[in-house]
Amino acid sequence: MPLGTLDRSPPPFFKQGQSAFSKLMVFSAVALFLMAADTRFKLTGPIRVAVATALYPVQWLVMRPIEMVRGGGAYFVTLSDAQQAQRDAEKRLANQSQRAAQVELLGLENDRLRNLLALKERTSTPAQAAQVVYDAADPFTRRVMVDKGSVQGIKSGSPVMDEAGVLGQVTRVYPLSSEVTLLIDRDHTIPVLNTRTGARSVVYGDPSVHGGTLELRFMAGNADVQQGDILTTSGVDGVYPPGMPVARVDKVERRADSAFAKITCQPLANTLGARHVMILEPFSVQIPVVPGMDSAQAAPKKGAKK
Amino acid sequence: MIMRSGEQLLLPVNPLYLWGSLLAALMFNMLQSTLFGRAAWPPDVLALALVFWVIHQPLRVGVGTAFVFGLCMDVHQGALLGQHAFAYTALSFFAITISRRLLWYSIPSQALQIFPLLAGAHALQLAVRLLAGNSFPGWGFLITPVLEALLWPVVTFILLAPQMRAPDPDANRPL
Repeated sequence: MPLGTLDRSPPPFFKQGQSAFSKLMVFSAVALFLMAADTRFKLTGPIRVAVATALYPVQWLVMRPIEMVRGGGAYFVTLSDAQQAQRDAEKRLANQSQRAAQVELLGLENDRLRNLLALKERTSTPAQAAQVVYDAADPFTRRVMVDKGSVQGIKSGSPVMDEAGVLGQVTRVYPLSSEVTLLIDRDHTIPVLNTRTGARSVVYGDPSVHGGTLELRFMAGNADVQQGDILTTSGVDGVYPPGMPVARVDKVERRADSAFAKITCQPLANTLGARHVMILEPFSVQIPVVPGMDSAQAAPKKGAKK
Repeated sequence: MIMRSGEQLLLPVNPLYLWGSLLAALMFNMLQSTLFGRAAWPPDVLALALVFWVIHQPLRVGVGTAFVFGLCMDVHQGALLGQHAFAYTALSFFAITISRRLLWYSIPSQALQIFPLLAGAHALQLAVRLLAGNSFPGWGFLITPVLEALLWPVVTFILLAPQMRAPDPDANRPL
C-alpha cells in the first residue's frame, strides 16, 4: 500500500510536459550520438572538458577525506620502519651513484664520438613530475588520472614514466588533470627494441581479463627472443624518446601450429600502484621538421596510439 | 485516493534534500572509484538514488535528470561519453513505467522488482562497451545488480526518512 503524501499543492492536471517515452527517445538518441561522436569522430572533447571543469570542485571535495587518511596514516609509522626505509633509500642511492658517475663519463664520450662521426646531438627530453590521483573507475579500460593538466602545459600524447620504466601515454587532457592510458590497456601499443639483439618490434597490451601483462606479437616462431630480454623504446614512433625501459620478456611459447611465437612480457613500470610519475614532452615536438614533409610529420603521432 | 484511517501520511519532499541526496550519491560513487579503483563490483548508488526519486517523485525527477547525472558519471570515470547517460535514461524510463504499481508492494518485494531494471542497465553498459571494442571487465560485475537490489531497503529508509517525520513535533515525538 503506497503511503499518501501530504503535498501542499495538487499535482498538475493538464501540464504534464512531454511523455516519458518521447523523452526516452530523445535522450537515447542524444546518448547514442555522443557515443558515436566519442568513438568514431573524436568530437566530444569540448563537452568532456566543460563537464570535467564543472565536476572538479566536487571531485576535489571527495578527495579531501581520502588525502587526510593517507596523510594521517604516515604519522603512525614506527621509528624502525622509518629507519629501514631510510637505509633502503641510501643503499639504492649508493648503487645509483656509481652508475650516475659512469653516465657522466659515457655521456661525454658519446658526445665526442658523435662529433667525430658528425652525427646529430642527442636531444634531452623536458619532463614534469605529477602524482597519480586515482585509478579511472571505468572497468573496461586501464587508465589512471594524474593531477597535472593543460593549465600546467600537459599535451595529449605525452609519454608517461615512473622510476622503473614507461608507464603509458596521456590520452585526455582536462584543465587541471589528465588521463593516462596504461601500457597494459588492450588498445595500447608501443614500438620497442630488444636490447640484446637490436630487433625492433611492437608490444601490445594484453586483452585478457586480469592480464596486467604485455604481448609481443608477430614475432616469427624461430625469432631470437629469450626469457629475460629487456625491451626498451625504439624511438621510431616519434612519441617515446629512445632507450626508455618498457618490459622484460617473461615467457616464450613456440608452437608448431603457428608461424608466430606467443611471447608474454612483464611491464617494468609499476602499472598497478604507481604514485609519482614523470610526464615527458612528446618526442616528435623535438624532431626538426624535414622540408616538404609537414604532412608526414603528423602521422606517427596518431599511429602510436591505436 | 481514498484515505484510510490510522494510516501514516508522508510529509512533502524537500527539494533541497532531493537534489542534495542525488549529489551525495554522485559523490559516493566518486569515493568508491577512488577507493576500489577500476573494480567492476561496487554498487552504483547514483543509479539507485535516481530510481528511488523517479519512482517516488516522477514529477520532479525524470529521464532528463537521469541523462545529466549519467553524463557526469561518464566524464568522471573517463568512460565512453554517453554510456552511463544511455543506461540511466533507459533505467529511469522503466522506473517511471512501474512507478504507479511498485509502491503497492512491500519493500523486499520492491527490491525484487527493481532487480531486473538494474541488471538491464548494467547489461546495456556492457553491451555498449563490448560493441565499442573494449575489453571484458571480469565477472565481478555480475554481483553488482544483486548488491544494488539488496541496498534498496537501506536507500528507501535513508531517502524517505525526512518525509516520515511527524508533521507536528512535540515532546514525545521530537523528530
